[in-house]
Amino acid sequence: MPTLERPKPVGVAIASLSKTFSGKPALNDVSLTIDPGDFVVLLGPSGSGKTTMLRCVAGIERPSSGTIDIDGTRVAGPKTFVHPEKRGVAMVFQDYALWPHLSVRKNIAFPLASSGLAKDVRRGRVEGLLERVGIAHLADRYPNELSGGEQQRVALARALAADVGLILFDEPLSNLDTDRREQLRLEIATLTREAGATAIYITHDQSEAFALADYVGVLNKGSLVQFDTPENVYRRPVNSFVTRFTGIAGEFAVASVHDRSEEYVDVSLPFAPSHHVRARARDSGERVESLKLFVRASGVVLNAEAHDQGVGGEVLDVAFTGRGYEHVVSVGQGATLTKIFSARRFERATNVKVSFEPSECFVMDAREEEEQ
Amino acid sequence: MTDVIVNPSVVEPAALAPSTTTTKQWRPRRFTFGGLAIWIVLALLIILPVTCFLILAVSPRMFSQGPQWFTFTYIRQAFEGYTLRGVVNSLWVSSAVAVLATGGATSLAWLVQRTNIGARRLWSISMWLLLLMPTWIMAQGWTDLLQPFGVADALGVNLSWLYGEFFGPLGIIVVLTSASLPFAFFIVSAGLRGLGPEFEDAARIHGAGRLQTMKTVLPIIAPAILGAFAISFAETISDFGVADTLGYHAHFPLATYTLFNAISNFPANFSVGAVIAGVLILATVPPIALQSIVSRKSEAYGILSGRTRTPKRREFRPGPRVAATAAVGFFVFVALGVPIIGAVTGSFVQNLGEVGATHIHFTLTYFAQVFHPTIENDGLGSPLTLSNQLGLVVSTVTGVLAVILARRMMASRGGWSQRITDVFLLGSIAIPGVVLAVGYIFFYDLSFITHHIINIYKTLPLLMLGLVASAVPGQTRFMAGPVSQIQSSLSEAARVHGASRWRTWRTTNLPLMSRVLVWGWLLTFAKTISELAMSQILYPPSREPASVSIQSYINNFQLGTGTAMTVALMAEMFGVIILAFGAYRLLTPVGWRRVGWSVVD
Repeated sequence: MPTLERPKPVGVAIASLSKTFSGKPALNDVSLTIDPGDFVVLLGPSGSGKTTMLRCVAGIERPSSGTIDIDGTRVAGPKTFVHPEKRGVAMVFQDYALWPHLSVRKNIAFPLASSGLAKDVRRGRVEGLLERVGIAHLADRYPNELSGGEQQRVALARALAADVGLILFDEPLSNLDTDRREQLRLEIATLTREAGATAIYITHDQSEAFALADYVGVLNKGSLVQFDTPENVYRRPVNSFVTRFTGIAGEFAVASVHDRSEEYVDVSLPFAPSHHVRARARDSGERVESLKLFVRASGVVLNAEAHDQGVGGEVLDVAFTGRGYEHVVSVGQGATLTKIFSARRFERATNVKVSFEPSECFVMDAREEEEQ
Repeated sequence: MTDVIVNPSVVEPAALAPSTTTTKQWRPRRFTFGGLAIWIVLALLIILPVTCFLILAVSPRMFSQGPQWFTFTYIRQAFEGYTLRGVVNSLWVSSAVAVLATGGATSLAWLVQRTNIGARRLWSISMWLLLLMPTWIMAQGWTDLLQPFGVADALGVNLSWLYGEFFGPLGIIVVLTSASLPFAFFIVSAGLRGLGPEFEDAARIHGAGRLQTMKTVLPIIAPAILGAFAISFAETISDFGVADTLGYHAHFPLATYTLFNAISNFPANFSVGAVIAGVLILATVPPIALQSIVSRKSEAYGILSGRTRTPKRREFRPGPRVAATAAVGFFVFVALGVPIIGAVTGSFVQNLGEVGATHIHFTLTYFAQVFHPTIENDGLGSPLTLSNQLGLVVSTVTGVLAVILARRMMASRGGWSQRITDVFLLGSIAIPGVVLAVGYIFFYDLSFITHHIINIYKTLPLLMLGLVASAVPGQTRFMAGPVSQIQSSLSEAARVHGASRWRTWRTTNLPLMSRVLVWGWLLTFAKTISELAMSQILYPPSREPASVSIQSYINNFQLGTGTAMTVALMAEMFGVIILAFGAYRLLTPVGWRRVGWSVVD
């Protein structure tokens, strides 16, 4: 199997980046430093500014203010704007952006046309990539003759053909079905790291982000809320938005706050006033009424009713997932927990006991997100 | 943003390119010198000549055309006698034609798009051919066929009963409906293509009967039907070809002819002409505004699922299929075949239309006169050469301007700039060529313009400018659809992967637009070399374009020579189109021919 050449990975420094469209802010004072060779995923909902940020790095959009440096060279800033073709980046687009009048081979060869490489070297490189990405048998086809997954492979090969130190991915898997998405995610991770390039990848899918990233940047309403390793983003979310967006089984208003330590706090919930739940204390501030308990699905344990510990609940729904069962459990006063995994099946309308793993529960001020 | 496309045919093309629409819609238009230059060109080409001319209707003194600063005298004059008849005739004929063309085109489009009738490609191609045919040639063909001592007589067919009927409103409506049919057909076809079967299926599944289903689904293509009506009305009311030929000879005045008459009589009455021009433009406002409003409202339900399937065709049984095919064939034969047969056969008939001719037989004499000038006949050589030169320059300049304007419109889609440009272009399509031409005669003869801006009055460049001005709005809107279908990410991908602006245009945009560019160029070329209204009014002394020369022969009762010239001109038009498409097939890479807009879907 041919190996890919390794371009020199480049670092990216973004400082105070803002972008407005007709006065509406899309990006608001974002600063971020990416080390050479890192695989960074920008995670956020629609309208959070992640696509705008990627397009600013690519040079497709011109920032309203702030600076972008790629490999130590200023590419965007006051009185500076380097056009996309001069930035030395490659990009995989959400809609693939394959040129429909060019065959697969010619699409992949496109970035090499201005590389100055000899024709036979370029040809060899394209053939190598076709084989490496597993589409050699499709080389003479046109994009409309390919499936979505095949088209995305061509787009990936084209980005790799550019032999650049920075590859940008704009939600490349969002148009694919689940099976193909899993498969291509693995290939993107492998091939990009093998190529040795720095990667910036955007997605709204937290599982995709955690699977791919060395670092995850969470964006909300144009601001970078948290930039950290996937583990820290999941285990130590900085606010309620990040917690919610990275997946929770439920969130409940806090009735009262009890024992506090530096890291943990005991709280009681309205539907179980006598039961204390221990959770990570991100906020345990003065105003109890604005505090909420956020619970990760992985932090909930389901037991039979006879179990001596936990909050009482009733199973509302159960779904078989292959490796076990996911349950929806009512814990009283309209509060529910979803996606509660158990290897054992608890039937609907069964009474159960629910207990919480403190490291996967967070007490936070829910106003933070609203104020943002 | 994922898995959602917008149906290009139901809504304005503005809403395409899903991946980047969100940001594109927000993008403000910055002031640019390019934008300013374009608006200056449009002002000199269309806005100022037409506006200044229209002002004359109430204020002749402003341009030294009379003593009054403000008067209604000319409005009263325009609504009296002959000119009033012209206005009234134009209004009712245009309304009738718009209804007939929309109804006919909707039926035809439904049969071609949604049923299994035979020869569907042939009917689509026929519509393009019909689009290329100038109305004066169609009128000429019918005249050659039906007139006493004409083609029908030569063939021994007695059609004298039809002659009297045809030289009046009936003939005018038949020819103008035939001419409007392709415009309406293409608009409704586009609407039908976007109407996926799931809408009908959903209505039926949820209990609607056939009638209820139709009532539910029809609003989705209502903008297309209204658009067809608006364009048919605007095309008909602005037509000069029929007004100058059939209308004139049948003593049935139409407004475009009375306008021409007002400024060609001595002394020219520009103010009355301006009133008629104003009426012609105002008359097109209600249908176009209605269509525009409905289109905009339809954007709300214009977003269709990405899973929209290819519309299902209704399968006729063999008997009804043959009947439907024959009906469409007859329809096309009347609209396209009869005038062509009339003109072509007429060009071979000795003593064509000469009253009292004792022997009618076939001859090549007229073609000899066309290509070998004599002392009496100048021949078609130099007028045709001039028309070709005009065609080359006008179609090339128009093509460039139309691409620039279409790209700017699409770049600012959703914004005020796009809306203004779009409304302006739509409004400009409705400006009759004769109004624009008279506006030019007036505006470019103003002493301020000739002394300080440009002095091209009574020159060929003025005619060229006029032809470009009349072609640009239609071409821009023609290009806007295909331009909007090129997703911006294709150009962005090229730029990100190292291509300069020029290489991006050459390697991505040009191939995707090549077919529409070639066809747009050919369309303008064909329309220019056969154009009558502008040419008749703006041609410089002793330099007659082909269409004007042909009319001179016909008006001087040299029908045979005029008809042979008409046939030679048609042959050239179609010959150039065949050659151009042949060259395109031979010279372009395979990939270019696989994608983008196509003449026949």
